[in-house]
Amino acid sequence: MTTPPWRAAGGTAVQRRSLTGSEPHPFIEQRLTSPGPSFHPVSVRKTLGKSNNNSYTVRHPNHRRPYPPVNTRDSHYHRKQTSQPPAPARRTQFPDALKAYVARTFEDCPSENKAEVEVSLKKIITDAFENETVWTIDWATHPLPAAARRQSTATSDKMDISSGDEASPVSYTPAKNNFNSLSKGNKRKLGSRIASDKNEFDRGVTRPDKRSRKINASDYSYEGPDAFKRLDKRYKRHQTKNVFSHYNAMHNALDSPAFAPIVGRATNLEKRYLRLTSAPDPDTVRPLHVLEKTLELLKSKWKAENNYSYICDQFKSLRQDLTVQHIKNDFTINVYEIHARIALEKADLGEYNQCQSQLANLYSEKIPGGHPHEFKAYRILYLLHTCNRTDMNDILASLTPAEKEDRAILHALAVRSAVAGGNFHRFFKLYLDAPNMGGYLMDSFIDRERLAALTTICKSYRPDIPFRHITEELGFENDAECEAFLVKNNAGNFIKTKESAKGDGNNKIVLETAKALPTIEAARAVAFKKVDIKGQI
Amino acid sequence: MESLIRAWRTAHAEENGKLLASTISLTNTDLEEFAYSTNSARVAEDIFRTLEYENNSARPKIANKTGLEAWAEVYVAYWKVAQALERHDEVEWGQVFVGMKDLTQAVIRGFQNGLWEVWQLEIMYTACKYLRYVAIRADEVKRSNGEDTWKSLEDAARIINRAFNVCLNDRAELAQSRKWGTYYIINILFKTYFKLNAITLSKNILKALVANTTEMPDLLDFRTSDVVTFKYYCGVIAFLDEDYVKAEEHLDMAYKLCHKDAQKNKELILTYLIPTKLLTRRQLPSAILLKPYPLLESLFLPLAQCIKSGDLRGYDENLARGEDWFVKKRIFLTLERGRDITLRNLFRKVYLCAGDSKTRIPVDHFKAAVSWKSGVDVETEEVECFLANMIYKGYVKGYISREKGMVVLSGSNAFPGTGV
Repeated sequence: MTTPPWRAAGGTAVQRRSLTGSEPHPFIEQRLTSPGPSFHPVSVRKTLGKSNNNSYTVRHPNHRRPYPPVNTRDSHYHRKQTSQPPAPARRTQFPDALKAYVARTFEDCPSENKAEVEVSLKKIITDAFENETVWTIDWATHPLPAAARRQSTATSDKMDISSGDEASPVSYTPAKNNFNSLSKGNKRKLGSRIASDKNEFDRGVTRPDKRSRKINASDYSYEGPDAFKRLDKRYKRHQTKNVFSHYNAMHNALDSPAFAPIVGRATNLEKRYLRLTSAPDPDTVRPLHVLEKTLELLKSKWKAENNYSYICDQFKSLRQDLTVQHIKNDFTINVYEIHARIALEKADLGEYNQCQSQLANLYSEKIPGGHPHEFKAYRILYLLHTCNRTDMNDILASLTPAEKEDRAILHALAVRSAVAGGNFHRFFKLYLDAPNMGGYLMDSFIDRERLAALTTICKSYRPDIPFRHITEELGFENDAECEAFLVKNNAGNFIKTKESAKGDGNNKIVLETAKALPTIEAARAVAFKKVDIKGQI
Repeated sequence: MESLIRAWRTAHAEENGKLLASTISLTNTDLEEFAYSTNSARVAEDIFRTLEYENNSARPKIANKTGLEAWAEVYVAYWKVAQALERHDEVEWGQVFVGMKDLTQAVIRGFQNGLWEVWQLEIMYTACKYLRYVAIRADEVKRSNGEDTWKSLEDAARIINRAFNVCLNDRAELAQSRKWGTYYIINILFKTYFKLNAITLSKNILKALVANTTEMPDLLDFRTSDVVTFKYYCGVIAFLDEDYVKAEEHLDMAYKLCHKDAQKNKELILTYLIPTKLLTRRQLPSAILLKPYPLLESLFLPLAQCIKSGDLRGYDENLARGEDWFVKKRIFLTLERGRDITLRNLFRKVYLCAGDSKTRIPVDHFKAAVSWKSGVDVETEEVECFLANMIYKGYVKGYISREKGMVVLSGSNAFPGTGV
């Protein structure tokens, strides 16, 4: 067994040895230590097949005789399953053939034996790994675990009986109807099958759904549009509970210590962020209790120094340590939320969005704590910023009644409908009244919306519009800010002082709408063309 | 197993595609018998022999060795599917899906290697159809265990996409071309992509289709059912792209070609055609049109009446009432724009009531109308904002004079397209 470098020392390795080094079952031991594991003589499967063959011959007398065995085909299919490049160094990888083997083990295994089978299966796999034979054993022909095998022999006997009666008159009747010319061979066999009528009846009682289907459905009929409906009806009984039991059993069996997340051993509070290019080293990863202190330190540092590049870097390494240790709890949520808010404050939408998508996952996993409503509201505003109609529709579809009552979400929804309807009056009122940090997010598209509103105004007002009215309608804090905005968009020249008609010195500052329109319209087009950092949902 | 393979032979003798396809159908009544007729160690051998036997008794023979091997692959995979469906107390959809994947890939390979002819395309249709169905079931099992995944369906989509390419890129002469299968497969792909919410992928398909369009037979030469479905999806794709003119064109065609008794399909088409016509032509659905579709009638008809009468409050209420369904169908954000038309109709009524001085109407009149019809007192600034939008969007011809608090309307055609 090769030990990966990051496991060279420390508690986890010891723990693993104690797990894998246990005494194997004597029976399995005997089988696994036999040399030349790739060419195991397969006795067990053969008896199974033989008993099957016997009944098979009875059912289809004309079948086996005329043909020589076509072994080449058989081996062809086996080769497909087993050929896998040996890669002995990687413990966590399982050959596909082994996966098929595990699946086969549970194929006919009754539930009462599952636990036992699981234990023996675990041992077989562990041993194979220990002996480094996992890539060399021919899993396709490897004997099944004892418990599963004993059972499968029993069930296969039962199966022969039932498959015999499966070919009984009832199931053949429709075939006869549709293929008269072809079913001569069948008729000969009918007599022997009628004998199993009683059996047939018994089965009819236990599995009524299948029987009735057989009688009603006409054979090889063209499938009408209701084909799926029929299929649904047929398999309805399977929908509940146990569907995944086999998979769960398989997963348990494959559960090896190598899958466990690492636990860090570092004790320094601060760490620079470095993108991981190899497996994480526990010596440089901080465990949860250290990370908790780190967060406190970072919070106080942020308040004191307000150094964003430092804080962002530290938060990224903090998040990385959480990820490699698979820590997903209220603390994780807290970290992401704080980082998201800091990023918002600094208008770092890229970083904010990374946190946002992680948070969405954490919330959906029903991890307690956090402020899912607050961040859902941010998400709506963010989608307005990216003009992502598709995702907006999705998020609208996902809102629960409780969420629709939340103040922040209501606000975000109101903003959305104001933008959609071009209701800039309402929009800028909402901008000035945004809860939490929604205002920071709206900052990211406020200028764009201002240009849109201004275009509408320039188009519809004649001959001019009071400068003050623009300041108020477009949510500027004062005239100076509004003027700076107009100048920035090359519309400064269109601000004019209009003398009062009465000549009483009551002069007004106005914007000449008709003249400003082309400039503003061009600026608006540019603002809407700029596509945001795509790819970051 | 025999009856299944015999059907395979009959299908070849008659060149009966539907019968052939039914031999790999999941609703085949022999499925259970087939599942128990052999076991995993012997299945390949058994199937090959049975095929060989039936092939030998067919006059003329159906296939050579290579051909038989291709069919054996198909039926071995089909057996895996049958076994996974029939031989467990609980169906393991994950396993069924693995088998279904093998089956579909075997079918695609058969066509790719030029072994099969155009009448056999039905088998590809059936394989793709069930592949999609089984993939959804497999994913649903995982999803019910809390895993948020469409992995199987994504997998299925990739395979069906290969089937699409096998059809599209066939160079055989038209009568024998697999191109005739293109639209059926595209429709399954569209269905899959829509379920996956990967509508951009549908556009890639359309692009590939356009690139091949010169060699394609005329769309109307295909089966009408394929054409209707195809046009419906094209319409919806254009609709989601906000290209309403194109959407109208596609959906109109789908609606006209749709079989008169296919209520469900017509309802689907109308779901998108009604909002589209609202935007492109400002046309509202009539009560007679909606009569056969209770769901559409209950949601669209009140909305249409509110738009007509300029009832802002009723419009908002009815939009909110149907919001869940509208959002689910992705038409909410489009229907929302109907508010502009409601507003336009209201303003038009103000204009008609204005008496002699129609060209100069105080903003306050509009304010009174909006306040009355929306049930809340709106501010003058907000009404001006509405008016500005109307003018900007071309619903109203005129301008606002803020100084005088007046709306000055064009002397003729103040509300374009409404006769005043």
